[in-house]
Amino acid sequence: MKILLLGMNHRTAPVEVRERFAVAQAGPLTRKLVDRPEIGEAVLLSTCNRVEIVATAENPDAAQHVLLEFFARELAEGALPSGLSLSELTYLKHGRDAVEHVFRVASAIDSMVVGEPQILGQVKDAYRESADAGACGAVLSRLFQRAFATAKRVKNETGISQRPVSVARVAVDLAKQIFESLEDKSALLIGAGDMIEAALVALDDHGLGSRRVANRTRAHAEGLATRFGGTAHGLDELDRLLPMSDVVLSCVGGESPILTRDRIEASLSHRRGHPLFLIDIGVPRNIDPAVHEIDSAYLYDLDDLQGVAAANEEERRRESERAERIIFEEREHFDGWLVALQAVPTIRDLRRRAEQIRQAELRRYAGRLGLDPGQSEALEQLTRGIVNKIMHAPISRLRDETDREAGLARLEEARMLFALDDDADETNEIDGGSGGGMRDATRVPSDAASDAESDS
Amino acid sequence: MQVFQHMAAAFYLAAGVGAMLGLTLPSQRILRGARWGLALGALAQGLAFATLHRLASAPSLTDLPQALAVMAWLGVIFTLALLSRFRLPGFVPPLAFIAFLSVFGATLSTPGLVAERDASGSIPHAHVLLASAGFAALGVAALAGFFFLLEHRALKRRRSLARRFPMPSLEALDRVNRVALVLGFPLLTLGVVTGALWMKARTGAITGGSLHEAWTVVAWFLYLGLVVLRFGRDQAPRQAAASAVAAFVFLVFAVVGVGLVS
Repeated sequence: MKILLLGMNHRTAPVEVRERFAVAQAGPLTRKLVDRPEIGEAVLLSTCNRVEIVATAENPDAAQHVLLEFFARELAEGALPSGLSLSELTYLKHGRDAVEHVFRVASAIDSMVVGEPQILGQVKDAYRESADAGACGAVLSRLFQRAFATAKRVKNETGISQRPVSVARVAVDLAKQIFESLEDKSALLIGAGDMIEAALVALDDHGLGSRRVANRTRAHAEGLATRFGGTAHGLDELDRLLPMSDVVLSCVGGESPILTRDRIEASLSHRRGHPLFLIDIGVPRNIDPAVHEIDSAYLYDLDDLQGVAAANEEERRRESERAERIIFEEREHFDGWLVALQAVPTIRDLRRRAEQIRQAELRRYAGRLGLDPGQSEALEQLTRGIVNKIMHAPISRLRDETDREAGLARLEEARMLFALDDDADETNEIDGGSGGGMRDATRVPSDAASDAESDS
Repeated sequence: MQVFQHMAAAFYLAAGVGAMLGLTLPSQRILRGARWGLALGALAQGLAFATLHRLASAPSLTDLPQALAVMAWLGVIFTLALLSRFRLPGFVPPLAFIAFLSVFGATLSTPGLVAERDASGSIPHAHVLLASAGFAALGVAALAGFFFLLEHRALKRRRSLARRFPMPSLEALDRVNRVALVLGFPLLTLGVVTGALWMKARTGAITGGSLHEAWTVVAWFLYLGLVVLRFGRDQAPRQAAASAVAAFVFLVFAVVGVGLVS
């Protein structure tokens, strides 16, 4: 059983292409995919930045064609972008690379914004939909469980998701360094544009207490205030609103600053020393930079926030190197499990072969020895004990091999040495009473070779 | 008793090293472990005190190393109570190392005799315990003030420390400073009063005219002024933080430094 992955993401395809392949309900599609004989199991992940299918197959070449066809017919519904081939837009990964890729995606190392928190939930949803549709078996279940555990390790053992990288989140992060909690805090938002809205969403995520929106055009302020459960005001009310506010966020047009040092100092005199956090994301700036010199006022403008965001992004990149080490370790563990899983049929065949030989030899001698039931039982136990002891070491070695390459090579050797893939011939040999079977397999190589020649 | 003291010292040292490691990596798991180390150290030290006072030849709490160990112990307990409410991981390393040094110092010092049970009765021990508790609380206030000043400076320079270490918010540090002052000042006052009573029982006068007494009284007035400014005049958080640090430095000099230089 091999694992393979076909996908496209923000690096290989632009958004106008990715959106053609995006799906809302992955479950029925994965069901459809595993109904094909070439595919064993499948999980389909579709987010705004990536569309990926992880599948298992006995024959990866055949499965690869099925996945490409599935991408073109079922996901894009035949409407491929003109002038572009699917192979240019997608990437195909096999085995270890596919496993590592799934771990990297779940850990948000492969995301457009490294360390972003949403992707893990999206991967979990994709896995759940596939499992509900009956398209997920032992291998992919294990793979995704390990991917979730890897993502958890990366989150806990590295600082990859601790530092915000968007201006709005950086502002909230700074606010939390000044205030213990935002739940009892009041924000004054000056302006009603997209930046203010993004910041309001980020502040709301951290349970902001109350919000007041002030704008030149009061109607725009009312729209935003209604959506976020705040109150709307005109700019002429700023002097009244400032002393009541803990966080001031400003992004309005204008040639000169609307919040001067004198104005802020006057408002702070009513605040009994409580700190005031001011965020100026207006260009040109809305707040006089001299405000930052006031003891209990902390002013950050767009450049400051972008500087912090850039530093955080750099930090995340550094942390992603630590994350890669964790992913490597986890991939090794998963490989070990996969080899052990692939050893199961060989071990089963090996046991069956030994048991067949034992049974056949017992049948051959049962009549000649004339044993009573007690003696038969003793002989039964004796032969079973001998077989178990002989089989113990090779089976243990097959099961405990964790290195993938060595493990697969050992499995091949075991199948060849014990002739496990020549069931029909060997069964005849065993039952035919020629005295062959295991005894032949233990001969020196030259004897085994002469046997092979005589068979042909 | 020595066994418990050694255990306490080991736990404090481990907590200090662990907290440093947890802050540097940073790792929440290691920081949690360091908090447990601090708690176990406090427990071991508590057991050491409990067994200490059952001994016939118990060292007196009025010995400076023993008194410092008591102060550190109370400081650790006070901080552990604060840690349950506030995010103060930065407090653990300095406190753990101070606690380690004081406990270790107490194990090395030659124990004096039990404080004589004269007319003063249990007043010497009450004095040491109350003054130590006050000292510990005011020490925590100073620590909060110190971290406040660091973080304030970093925010003003637009280089937040929290990007490198898990720092508490300015608001939390200010609240810790306030709570510690509310608790520490009355305890210090009781410490000064019991000290005067002890002196009166021994000499008949409430003061012996020593430098330690004079400086401690000045320190007490300093803290009185700080309390008035903080709660009566709405002193701004940064000034309150700076005052807490400066006043504590003065108090340390009054309690320990004067004895060393005179």
